[in-house]
Amino acid sequence: MSDELAAAHRWGELAGGLAGAGPLLDAAVGRAAEGGASYADVRLSETQELRLYAVSGRAPDERVEGSLGLGVRVLVDGVWGFASLPLREAGDAALAADLALRNARAAAAGSRERVVLPPRAAQSGRYQTEALIDPFAVPAADRERVVQDALAAALEPAGVLRAQAGVNAKRSHRYFASTEGSRQEQHFVESGGMAAALAGGEQLVQRRSYPNSFHGNTAAAGWEYVTGLRLPQEAARVGAEAVQLLTAPVAEPGTASVVIGPAQLALQIHESTGHALELDRILGDEANFAGRSFIGPDAAGTLRYGSAAVNVVADATVPGTRGSFMFDDEGTLTRRTMLITEGLVTNFLSSRDSAARIGTASTAAARSDGWGFLPLCFATNVFLEPGAGSLDELLDRMGDGYYIDDNKSWSIDSQRLNFQFGTEVAWEVRRGKRARLVRDFSYGGVTPQFWGSMEATAGPAEFRTFGMPCGKGEPKEWGFLSHGAAPSLFRNVAIGVA
Amino acid sequence: MEGDVTGDVTQQVGLRPWAGRERALGVLEEALAGPAADHVEIFLASRVGHHTRFAADRVHQPQTIIECQVMVRAVAGTGSARVAVSDLRGVAGAVAAATDLARRRDGRPGAPPPHGVAPAAAARHDDGLWRHATIAWDEGARSAQAGAIMELARGAGGTAAGVLTAAITELAVVTSGGQRAYAAATEAGFSLTARVGEASSYAADLGRDASLLEVDGRAEAAVRQAARAGVPVPVPDGVHDVVFGGLAAGELIGFLPDFGFTAPAVEAGIGLVAARSGAVLAPDMITIADDAGAAVGLPFPFDQEGTPKRRVELIAGGRVGGAVSDLASAAATGGASTGHAHIARESSPAPEAANLVMAPGPASEAELIAGVERGLYIQRLWYNRLVDAEAGTVVGTSRDGCFLIEDGALTAGLAAGRFTESVLGALARTDGIGSRLITQPVPNVWNGCVSAPAIRVRGFRFGRRPEGRP
Repeated sequence: MSDELAAAHRWGELAGGLAGAGPLLDAAVGRAAEGGASYADVRLSETQELRLYAVSGRAPDERVEGSLGLGVRVLVDGVWGFASLPLREAGDAALAADLALRNARAAAAGSRERVVLPPRAAQSGRYQTEALIDPFAVPAADRERVVQDALAAALEPAGVLRAQAGVNAKRSHRYFASTEGSRQEQHFVESGGMAAALAGGEQLVQRRSYPNSFHGNTAAAGWEYVTGLRLPQEAARVGAEAVQLLTAPVAEPGTASVVIGPAQLALQIHESTGHALELDRILGDEANFAGRSFIGPDAAGTLRYGSAAVNVVADATVPGTRGSFMFDDEGTLTRRTMLITEGLVTNFLSSRDSAARIGTASTAAARSDGWGFLPLCFATNVFLEPGAGSLDELLDRMGDGYYIDDNKSWSIDSQRLNFQFGTEVAWEVRRGKRARLVRDFSYGGVTPQFWGSMEATAGPAEFRTFGMPCGKGEPKEWGFLSHGAAPSLFRNVAIGVA
Repeated sequence: MEGDVTGDVTQQVGLRPWAGRERALGVLEEALAGPAADHVEIFLASRVGHHTRFAADRVHQPQTIIECQVMVRAVAGTGSARVAVSDLRGVAGAVAAATDLARRRDGRPGAPPPHGVAPAAAARHDDGLWRHATIAWDEGARSAQAGAIMELARGAGGTAAGVLTAAITELAVVTSGGQRAYAAATEAGFSLTARVGEASSYAADLGRDASLLEVDGRAEAAVRQAARAGVPVPVPDGVHDVVFGGLAAGELIGFLPDFGFTAPAVEAGIGLVAARSGAVLAPDMITIADDAGAAVGLPFPFDQEGTPKRRVELIAGGRVGGAVSDLASAAATGGASTGHAHIARESSPAPEAANLVMAPGPASEAELIAGVERGLYIQRLWYNRLVDAEAGTVVGTSRDGCFLIEDGALTAGLAAGRFTESVLGALARTDGIGSRLITQPVPNVWNGCVSAPAIRVRGFRFGRRPEGRP
């Protein structure tokens, strides 16, 4: 961590570091403590998001959205209370604390259970994303050129009905303080982009997208990340593939060997691994909406989740991803945590509250949607550790089967057990070589059996990371997180299930 | 009237819109007089939400969440841009910044010219948006109610989890075309899951008036239903006669807009309105409209561009109806906006059917069930995703409160079962519609909701198809 904020972080009302934000933070936690909170924390943040997205036939949507506010969480007699509001004036810190206290006191009447947080020493520090090129300083004409070139390239093939291309950037200052004395500041920059093509034929529409079908891809990086995406070139490819899919055959239903590409596997990890290991969900906190988990609170060290080839890590210390940070949103210093070790469950994605309830320490997975929402257990940067070899070697090892990637549809039950996914694209693989495209590919399974059928994963050179938003909580909030994987080989997968 | 203010400062937050009519319109109108763009449109959308979330024998997440966004759209020549801030004190700067961005875009080749802004137009009167019963449903009342629901479930040997919400939303719009619109509305909603052993049941509803939710009675019914379900049995693979409760039916019809009922889809030649306008899709008892003037759900008089909301029948008497639009898509397709402008987070602006209502029928849910000799009752669906917009195919699972129907009555509880089915096919095979509408929110859509009655579908497949695909 450098001593000074890099240029990309010197913007906005909260660029002044803890020296500037400190009085507001102190006012919030001070008011909460005076009001009877045994513990309180405050998150003060300022965010700006820049989007330039274009859909064929429409004027581009260029917008810059700013947000500045704070959220205060209190614990009164073992009962939580929370309040958040957009910042208008200095008095809002005390107002948020008062509202949080009021909520906690009211909640006591409905609460038989109380939580006791183990005391913790103050944790303070500063973190900033490394961005080589500030995306907000990139000339508007450069952004425009990338988007228009990608749009034109995606539209080029005959049969493409509609195309979309866009770039996005986000920067934020996040400050945290607690009654335990923690004082933290984190400064983030993200950059991303996408292109997609929709091709239509008789009674058939096919979509292809890049670099990920779900909101493109966004990384904790500067404009250099967008440049590296090569959007115009890749847009041309997905445009052509969308048209090719219109006349592609459908895979025969049955069981098959499948190599799943990194983008689809990232979502598979998200849905069947990350969510299943959220400790608040496991303990029933999310039973009404997001659901529960087939994994129990006693699973660590005992439950076989997958084959010995499956090693899943939560590691927000890895830079460059949407799940990269120093402190989570309740101030816990992050560290590398093995969630699945050689197929065995070894830990959870936990918060202070959930960890305290099973007598463990938080794994720094309490994440919140900016200043406005409570921290919940979300994935951080959760990935399947790579193995060895190239994609071609993995296809060769598979022999006959399919290589699939880029999600098209996804559904999993509320226990994170029974799932069904569809992919935008699939290739038949014969004797280890990619052959023709097939369309509308789908596969399904049951989580531990599916991961138990994983035979191998390719090496670090094939590893890719994808940033994505995730919805959880009531009211629903977004967690911004990251998953990664290299292409991986699964045997006896049920395909053609849709 | 909205916004009576009494008591201390935290009570004031609970009782009134975040900005208020006079301040919102005053500041926005003042900002309009700023830099000279060709057109300027400004909206303020705020929500003061009070949420009492409970699970595992505690109110674990009592929250007050106040959100506010002021978004400016400026048009200069052929350029347009938007800038948003989270507080009114920044709106003048946002107008200047949006105007500057729009000017920089002016004259750039390769894109069609931007659309204009809404002209002055009277929106429907906003009577009925503000309900004092919702204001009175404060954190103390909600917490006590949550505790009682958990106690009720505990008494039946089970647990309960859920959320009780009272909120106030407001939207103010001013445009350089002369439009001035403001409305504030209360919002009350709940959802809860009762679990006894492995069996569960679910209840939810949403509207402007907390006194109409009947939370206690529906909680009791959910606990009772979970307690009587026994050990859930698997959903038998195959085609069944299915009664979908109002929540499950709402989940299914919530996909309709994806099948081509938006102006951009019509423009691209994709979907039902483009390809099969007027065609018979379903029995003539089925009418599904986007109707923000309906007495159910979350009625609201105008959209974020200030255009008064029009009722748009997506399916009218079983036939393919019309599409929703905003100013941009209406300009592209040559019509007038239907008042469905929407800007979702991390998404491009697009018209959104935000207040879907399926017309109720004459039957009670019990009567629909009584008409099934052997079949399924499906209360709640989960993780439903679009598979094929052309065929209307959706994948998902059943979740809580599902039962076998035998001889016209509910019998064994059902475990979650997967389906991959066409919503259009299901509507075509519907032969009964319930009389009671239940409303649920539409995620990621401002003021979005779907209101639907129970429906009876003759033939809906759960599990894998014998041949593996449709």
